[in-house]
Amino acid sequence: MADLWLGFVVALQPINLLWGLAGVTLGTAVGVLPGIGPALTVALLLPVTYGLDPTAALIMFAGIYYGAMYGGSTTSILLNTPGESATIVTAIDGHQMARNGRAGAALATAAIGSFVAGTLATLALSVTAPLMVRLALAFGAAEYFALMVLAFVTVTTVLGGSGARLAGWVSLLLGLVLGSVGIDGLSGQARFTFGIPYLLDGLDPVIVAIGLFAIGETLWVISGGPGEDHVLPVRGSLWMTREEWRRSWKPWLRGTAIGFPMGALPAGGAELPTLMSYAIEKRLAARPDEFGHGAIEAVAGPEAANNASAAGTLVPLLTLGLPTSATAAVLLAAFQQFGLQPGPLLFEHEPRLVWGVIASLYVGNVMLLVLNLPLAGLWVKLLSIPRPWLYGGILVMASLGAYSVHRSAGDLLLVALIGIIGFVLRRIHAPVAPVMIGLILGPAAEQHLRRALSISQGDWSVFLTRPLSATLLVAAAAIVVFGVSRGRPAPGRIEP
Amino acid sequence: MRGVLLGRTVVIMLLAAAPLRAQSQLTIVAPAAPGGGWDQTARVMQRVLAKVEPGTSVQVDNIPGAAGTIGLARFVQSERGNPNALLVTGLVMVSGVITNASPVSLSDATPIARLTGETEVIVVPAASPHQTLGDLVEAFKKDPGSVSWGGGSAGGTDDLLVRLLAEQVGLPASRVNYIAFAGGGAALAAVLGGQVTAAVSGYGEFAGQVAAGQLRPLAISAGERIRGINAPTLRESGIALDLANWRAIVAPPGLSDAEHDALIARVTRMANSEAWKEAIGQNGWDDLFLAGAGFRQFLLAEQARVSAVLQRLAATDAAGPARFTLAVTPTTVPNATVVIFGLLVAGLGAARLRVHAPAVSPSPGRRMAALLGLALLLQPILLLTAGFVATSTVMFAITAAAWRGVRPALGTTAWDVGVGVIFATAIFFVFTVGLGVTLPGSSLFTFPFSLP
Repeated sequence: MADLWLGFVVALQPINLLWGLAGVTLGTAVGVLPGIGPALTVALLLPVTYGLDPTAALIMFAGIYYGAMYGGSTTSILLNTPGESATIVTAIDGHQMARNGRAGAALATAAIGSFVAGTLATLALSVTAPLMVRLALAFGAAEYFALMVLAFVTVTTVLGGSGARLAGWVSLLLGLVLGSVGIDGLSGQARFTFGIPYLLDGLDPVIVAIGLFAIGETLWVISGGPGEDHVLPVRGSLWMTREEWRRSWKPWLRGTAIGFPMGALPAGGAELPTLMSYAIEKRLAARPDEFGHGAIEAVAGPEAANNASAAGTLVPLLTLGLPTSATAAVLLAAFQQFGLQPGPLLFEHEPRLVWGVIASLYVGNVMLLVLNLPLAGLWVKLLSIPRPWLYGGILVMASLGAYSVHRSAGDLLLVALIGIIGFVLRRIHAPVAPVMIGLILGPAAEQHLRRALSISQGDWSVFLTRPLSATLLVAAAAIVVFGVSRGRPAPGRIEP
Repeated sequence: MRGVLLGRTVVIMLLAAAPLRAQSQLTIVAPAAPGGGWDQTARVMQRVLAKVEPGTSVQVDNIPGAAGTIGLARFVQSERGNPNALLVTGLVMVSGVITNASPVSLSDATPIARLTGETEVIVVPAASPHQTLGDLVEAFKKDPGSVSWGGGSAGGTDDLLVRLLAEQVGLPASRVNYIAFAGGGAALAAVLGGQVTAAVSGYGEFAGQVAAGQLRPLAISAGERIRGINAPTLRESGIALDLANWRAIVAPPGLSDAEHDALIARVTRMANSEAWKEAIGQNGWDDLFLAGAGFRQFLLAEQARVSAVLQRLAATDAAGPARFTLAVTPTTVPNATVVIFGLLVAGLGAARLRVHAPAVSPSPGRRMAALLGLALLLQPILLLTAGFVATSTVMFAITAAAWRGVRPALGTTAWDVGVGVIFATAIFFVFTVGLGVTLPGSSLFTFPFSLP
């Protein structure tokens, strides 16, 4: 705790506060702009910060990272266009809330949930980092595969909801097929690429999500699919009602509990905890049938999970020098530029810097909340733009987002094709969210399975003889056996 | 009247944007995402060149994908004859060209210079029974499958090193139980946790853990010992092999000799500067500068060595017996999903036919959606020919018009175009001027006025 105190002394110096403010503001801005993620921003700023004091520069970078996590949810909710993979899940119900006239509440629950999760996870980071590291290192390929099985079992609740269970499976398998396109990470062999170089790197989940959600939905609305235009003006309180507070606080806490440890796992990533949080909230919800139509829990939980996992990725980065996300990789490069070697010795050699950065995260979370709550009121005004221009704007921003991820015109063609697929799926009343689940979880599960078998030289018993892996598989089995009665679909609702 | 006004606004905006193009510009293409070694090389060059050549504005362009071969293909095609473009490349691209069956190879570009390299290191956990490389190699020769080697992506430098090592100790390259991880970070976690027997990566990735005594370095792949690294070379350990993860600079094809020499001189001046030496030290790279004919020969030798081992590997992979029973091969899972997906779709289709849904005549809304879908499919072509602002304006107007074709709404098409132009131009400036992200837009600005 004395260390953390030292950190606050560093972080609260006026000059460092200023850099922190610059970071979170910039981060929020790049989070809102489609296709400009925190990784690219930090990379662009690296040369500029060369002459800066390392502590100040790293405080700013950490601010950008956190700020982008806040900002990314804004486009997901308002424009149905996720800016980065961590906010894909937010788009599913967040945008539906906006269409129901509750955009303000969706943005508020995202901002407050991010604050709660960010603060709690930063606290966890400063207290449990050494413990988390040991847990993270105990995770081998077998454990990851068992975790993926558990994730699959949990998220199958997302598949149906109406009588169209089969349609949900079609969506899931479509996602799995799309996910296996590209070079196989383990063998280097190209799969389903048909000799097209563009396909070698696989399909980027962000681009697929933009196509499915933003483009697909625009086509669907224009065709008159959902009947009347559903976008309602903001109704009720601009902020969250008492009822919405009551429904939000538990998902915030659960999201934090899921997000932080998974973020700390070296191969966890930001998508898995958000998906898990969504599925768990749906299982626990009093009215699971609301999911997909604007349930506030489905925004509160994943948003908290996403911010908590951002704090979680700092655990392996600071303690092991191990980057587990694109942004963490760029942050690592930033450390190295200043001649610092993240790793076990960093805490000993540079306590002022490490604890200063950690303390600045607390400060940054407060700044972000102060910055984002008034902004939410401003963003909501976007929805009062005349419909034709709103959809024109969504289409342009979605195309720009797809293009600027890799600056490739091929991505624009892909986003158009996926958009048309998204339209067809809506036409046959198949849910679109399972496509994303298959796309994200499928390749990861397959890689971990093959890696585990390769290490064990083909011995399948490895999944059961390793205690952690066996525990996870037993938990998955328990959900299958006991959890079937939960989340039974309410009749008569049509999936979006 | 309104239309004229709008038109005039457009022309003024285009004129205002025309001088955006800088005079003396050098583009460095990093064929990878931000953060990796190629990107860092490009950005360090950008920084150093700003000091060495104050008049030049240097721009870094990231074109990630497929071990850099996507960036290479685009560079060779679109920059032909341009004496102000450079591409960062390296060993990984040499093998990437082969494993991805890329139609464009490094021989299609003009070699300029090798700049830096990083030595590879073989490590084991501190608790491992293997004290020296000799111990590890002995265990490997006795039962190749039981020694798992963690490292970066398949076909990358780490993979190549282990395969070459296997051939040096008399085992076929295909007998290596190589576990590919997404980057050195994940491999680091696996070796720290004792999930794999040994791990291979650039020294920088493991330096922190080696210093803390959690990992034991058994050997480095550099030709000579490196100051500050307490590990013998492979040669000292009795294995006649050295390999560096080198990075280099190439220029587009179709340059005149004078242009080629000028580029070599520029890069040489940069590499001899104090700022460059300092940056190399900071990033923990080794200075492997080699320009001109020497680099050309080095490149040919590396291409020959890498393609030989990869070909032998592919040949034994194809002919070799199944290594594991009940094996999950690279094709098992994808093929299974495709089959199940096909069955499901067929089942769903049959169910639909039986229900016999009444045929719906295409509504105006459906027609509008089809129109917009077509526009979306044509958008990439439009973007590359007409630029971002024009394309976005067109898409904006089509979407708005499609909307208006179905239901009554405020405004007219002229207004749609006007709002679209303002919107698209504003975004264009935010991205290109504010953030320094290139959008295909300069072509639009030059197109109507044909500036050079």
